[in-house]
Amino acid sequence: MTSSDTRQPASGTTPSPKSTWPPKLDGWLDAVSRRATAEGILSSILVPVVSALAALVVGGVLIAIDGVNPLSVYQAILQGVFTKSRGFSYTATVATPLVLIGVGYALAYRARVFTIGGEGQYLVGAVAGTAVVTAGGVGDLPRVVLIVMGLGAAMVAGALWGGLAGVLANRFGASIVISTLMLSFIGDSLLQWAVRDGIRDPESYNANSRPITAAALPSFFGQKTHLGFLFALVLVPIAWWLIRRHRWGFRIDALGHNPGTLDANEFSSARVTLSVLVVAGGLAGLAGMVETTGVNIRLGQEASVGYGWDAIIVALIGRLHPLGVLIAGLGMAGLTIGFESAQRQFELPSSLVSLITAFVIIFVVWGDAIAARWKEAR
Amino acid sequence: MDTLFSIATVEAGIRLGLPVALAALGAIINERSGVLNLGLEGMMLSGALGGYIVNDATGSPWIGLLAGLLVGASTGGVFAGLVVTFRTSQVVTGIAFTIVAIAATTYLFQLRWDIGELPPRVERLGMWPLVALTLVCVAAVWFLFRRTTLGLTISAVGESPESADALGYNVVLIRWMATIAGGALAGLGGAVLVNGPLGLFIEEVTAGRGWVALALVVFAGWRPVPAVAGAFLFGLCDAAQLRLQGTATEVPYEVFLALPYVVTLIALVVRARRSHTPAALGDPYVRGAA
Repeated sequence: MTSSDTRQPASGTTPSPKSTWPPKLDGWLDAVSRRATAEGILSSILVPVVSALAALVVGGVLIAIDGVNPLSVYQAILQGVFTKSRGFSYTATVATPLVLIGVGYALAYRARVFTIGGEGQYLVGAVAGTAVVTAGGVGDLPRVVLIVMGLGAAMVAGALWGGLAGVLANRFGASIVISTLMLSFIGDSLLQWAVRDGIRDPESYNANSRPITAAALPSFFGQKTHLGFLFALVLVPIAWWLIRRHRWGFRIDALGHNPGTLDANEFSSARVTLSVLVVAGGLAGLAGMVETTGVNIRLGQEASVGYGWDAIIVALIGRLHPLGVLIAGLGMAGLTIGFESAQRQFELPSSLVSLITAFVIIFVVWGDAIAARWKEAR
Repeated sequence: MDTLFSIATVEAGIRLGLPVALAALGAIINERSGVLNLGLEGMMLSGALGGYIVNDATGSPWIGLLAGLLVGASTGGVFAGLVVTFRTSQVVTGIAFTIVAIAATTYLFQLRWDIGELPPRVERLGMWPLVALTLVCVAAVWFLFRRTTLGLTISAVGESPESADALGYNVVLIRWMATIAGGALAGLGGAVLVNGPLGLFIEEVTAGRGWVALALVVFAGWRPVPAVAGAFLFGLCDAAQLRLQGTATEVPYEVFLALPYVVTLIALVVRARRSHTPAALGDPYVRGAA
């Protein structure tokens, strides 16, 4: 094929298209996917940290308005994560789907492919995986085989759900933001039907699947953390390597910065769009099955708990960097777990955590704009 | 199935279509000026909560609608501040804006009514006043873009902000105004949903209707009358879904649950290529940068 396809290190040496940059961008992506310069590192770490602190201050004001001392709430949150015996283990468990989906989002957003369909892909993944491991005649298979089959089916289903949005975008020009969202709603309907009728346990009174204990993921670090957390930990360096050292990661960034350079090298940007949606979808599908077999005993109607939405925040706060996604995912999970006990103790509204994390993301967006203006002014 | 194609279903379809129609009209004004408003769902939801609380407090659904309009306009102002003045990414800001609105409305709602406590049903408006209100809005938006200099100016700003600027128009001001107007109509749509067909507020009551409105705008080619027709189609699917949920049919009722979104997806696919997208949609305007 063309020069872009011949084997050459994508990073380290300066790739030829780079001379046609600097890209015409709004400051946000510029700050996010810039190569590591001292200033870049400073702004990419400083902005989210300051934003998180500012959001905690806003949250503190809201707590104070509610008539509770914010400092004692935050102290209780820290105690919930760091001093309770299961705090760490629960945090890792909640962080697992956030990181798996978040890394997929991060890859997509680097290519400026704005999918928000992680929730639907997560659900169809859980349904497909559960259908496979609870099907008749697979019960005698060894646990390892069942686990691999289930996770594989989930990844394929999620990838198809994500890929569908890619096909609609490439062939018909359908907006990815909207199509992935519609597919999420449709995926939720699919789950509702599956547990009520499609793969329902006929002996169960409630609408849920047969038990998936035969394919349960092994757990470690105490009772709660399961193998899925290891997947998330392994995914981070792999994604990092893909972005920094692999042609695919390079093409993703090229698509995000300047799609023209891809076309100039006769490499179809549609293929990159599709591939990134397939990968993000597969990861979200994996997350769905990992959560089902790692945490739950059956797949039920309540499977949609919103990890697919929260992971959007995690990817953005994590600066579209795999390591950042891991840190942001752990941070958000810690806040959630710590707040759970604090909330009961102080009788606070349960939605306060989502409000605080939502404020982080608005402050990050705003902070980036301020940082970009600052640079312009100098 | 004979109950499906009844007057009642059509009426419910109109009622459920009105909020989407209003939000779509808001999105048209917004996007014609070149500002892509992915925060529309959040603005609709904010208007819905504002309209509900004020209706509950005053007992007047009309004041509730006014409140929804004002809340929507102010969220539009915040959004304009971020994307027009601070020039943040419109896509990211829009998504973030909706996430914040979902969290904030849920929080405020939980503060006001504890979990388990039944939030009161508010007085509802009948269908015809709301139909009249929506028709007035459609006519106004149609008139704005077809018959007024202001409408042409908004379109010019969305097509070529540089030229509009060179002719002496204030691009930033016009985009601010368009975004506030878009937010106001979205907020009004949310308030109509709560003070009209539903009569109550629940968490995430808009259930993606703001996103549906955005898809309809593409389907309608940024024209008000086809957008309203699309909204009516969505409302019909929504009404059919609600009607069929309770009844036992051959087809699983989840199919109808998904139907409005499938139809929206199809609409998005059918019309996407033939659309007349404003040329500068999504681009922040920096004076002298081009």
